[in-house]
Amino acid sequence: MIDSGQYRIAIAPIGIIDPSLTDSIERQVRRIFGYNTDVVPLLDQLDFALNDERQQYYSTMILEKLAAAPSDQALKVLGITSVDLFIPILTHVYGEAQIGGKACIISICRLSEGISSADSGQRLHDRAVKEALHELGHTFKLRHCPERGCIMHYCRSIQDVDRKSDQLCRHCRILLADELKRLETERRG
Amino acid sequence: MGSTRILIVDDELIMRESLRGWLERDGYAVAAAPSGEEALDMLKKTRFDILLVDIKMEGISGLEVLKQVKEGDPDVAVVMITAFGSISTAIEAMKNGAYDYLLKPFDPNALGVLIEKIVERQAQNRENFYLKEQFRERNRFESMIGQSKPMQAVFEIICDIAPTDSTILITGETGTGKGLAAKAIHTHSPRCEGPFVVVNCGAIPEHLMESELFGHQKGAFTDAKETKKGRLELAHGGTLFLDEIGEISMRMQIDMLRVLEDHVFYRVGGTQPIEADFRVISATNRDLKAAIKNTTFREDLYYRLNVITFKMPSLRERKEDIPLLADHFLLRFAEETNKAIDGISRAAIDEMMLYDWPGNVRELENAIERAVVIGKQRKIPSEDLPFYCAQHFSAPENDSLREIEKAHILRILNENLWNITRSAKILEIDRTTLHSKINRYDIRKPD
Repeated sequence: MIDSGQYRIAIAPIGIIDPSLTDSIERQVRRIFGYNTDVVPLLDQLDFALNDERQQYYSTMILEKLAAAPSDQALKVLGITSVDLFIPILTHVYGEAQIGGKACIISICRLSEGISSADSGQRLHDRAVKEALHELGHTFKLRHCPERGCIMHYCRSIQDVDRKSDQLCRHCRILLADELKRLETERRG
Repeated sequence: MGSTRILIVDDELIMRESLRGWLERDGYAVAAAPSGEEALDMLKKTRFDILLVDIKMEGISGLEVLKQVKEGDPDVAVVMITAFGSISTAIEAMKNGAYDYLLKPFDPNALGVLIEKIVERQAQNRENFYLKEQFRERNRFESMIGQSKPMQAVFEIICDIAPTDSTILITGETGTGKGLAAKAIHTHSPRCEGPFVVVNCGAIPEHLMESELFGHQKGAFTDAKETKKGRLELAHGGTLFLDEIGEISMRMQIDMLRVLEDHVFYRVGGTQPIEADFRVISATNRDLKAAIKNTTFREDLYYRLNVITFKMPSLRERKEDIPLLADHFLLRFAEETNKAIDGISRAAIDEMMLYDWPGNVRELENAIERAVVIGKQRKIPSEDLPFYCAQHFSAPENDSLREIEKAHILRILNENLWNITRSAKILEIDRTTLHSKINRYDIRKPD
């Protein structure tokens, strides 16, 4: 674990989210990014981002709120929601992140696609964890990676999400290490 | 390596911003314009690879933007963005050269796939152009061959400098394989997947050089019927090889210096600066330092090109490589011509070792090609070597064998100042035989 002083990564469930899912995400976030995590419910509703016409929620607006929410010790904030997210030009998004910024969000709304009820639990968890790590990666300035197995690979379909691993490739690991080092130097002033 | 530049043209801020954010995550360099007018202004100053244009806008419409962009630069991929109701306009746009259209809002997967496809196609187009060129010119050396010390030293240098992005100047006589060395550096560099673009500065006439290097806009001069990309632009992401750099005019030297300093240039007749990311390797058989003294080559350009330099050895300096090279060329040409020639006679090898090869490896390659083409035997005899003919059969064709032998002995004797032992050795006969031939042919020492 990084000697991160007071910095932590805040996991912010919005609405009702299965606690075992937040547990899985927390564990993997600690493993990949090395920071301690806290589960902090920063937003209790998302009505402000609802688009009546589309009946979907505008993720960029939610990110702004999440980034501005009082969370002193949080270096990054990851929102988790079950509502369907969109950005105006796209039909839907699984998640969105502020590149090199503070906030990111994932939606589990469409992550159960193609999963039978028998194995829904674990596979949904796996997908959500991958999406969470992917979006958080963006907040640490990681871009999409051409390596198919890398967590930062841009997935064209839910099958691609299933195919990729929950690990960063060697290249992205180095970029993340550089960014973590930079943040640490910045913190120490 | 430079990233793909995308321009979003949409009058709705929210569309521009959400699309920009999404594409930036993929690592693209993205700019946005709120109107057709502003987009066209931006295009005068910066070149974009892909345009995403909303069809319905106040002022200049998306279709008009498409038309003007395609006139200026047909290689730019324009994707039209349209609402569900106006598909017919989108189809009209496709007829006018749009790459594709997207229905608003679009599926994120469709957008990612489309942009990737365009980027791939544009890279392929650049590469195809050069594959065609290379096929036409046919690489004269398909690989670098040599076990001699000078060549081993060259291989070491190439391995050391290839991974860097430094500018390199290769010197050496004509035909020593400077172009091949440049290609080897490119192949072993991180730019190996990008294009390797050759500019033969000595072969392109002065008046065409500017347009060849920088490209031109449609209408820039009488013959400029279409906008054409220059070789600098085609080298984007790869290596630019400036062969025979010593031959470029003083005017082009100034232009080149500017390009090498910031990698930004304008097409002939163009107003939009074009940025290209390439590594420069140049080569010359001229003594550039002497050219600087004669004021025919700019000193500042010389130092810009000559960050790292090495010399390709002449074939004379690495004669031990001749049998290896000759065998290599023999195999290649025998296979190409489908001839049953599988070796080179001992005598022919000896002739090749004695010869000076002023044209270096290229001359050797040509010699073997000729020998294979005219060859009738399984092993190439010395008589089939072009320089052998020149040296040994300078007498008119209708001379008798006796006359030819007499002339040849006389020439060898004269060249060796009538030193009998040395002449006999070259003629591969013993001294007694040489004396007897001198007597028989009545060959006399000149006064």
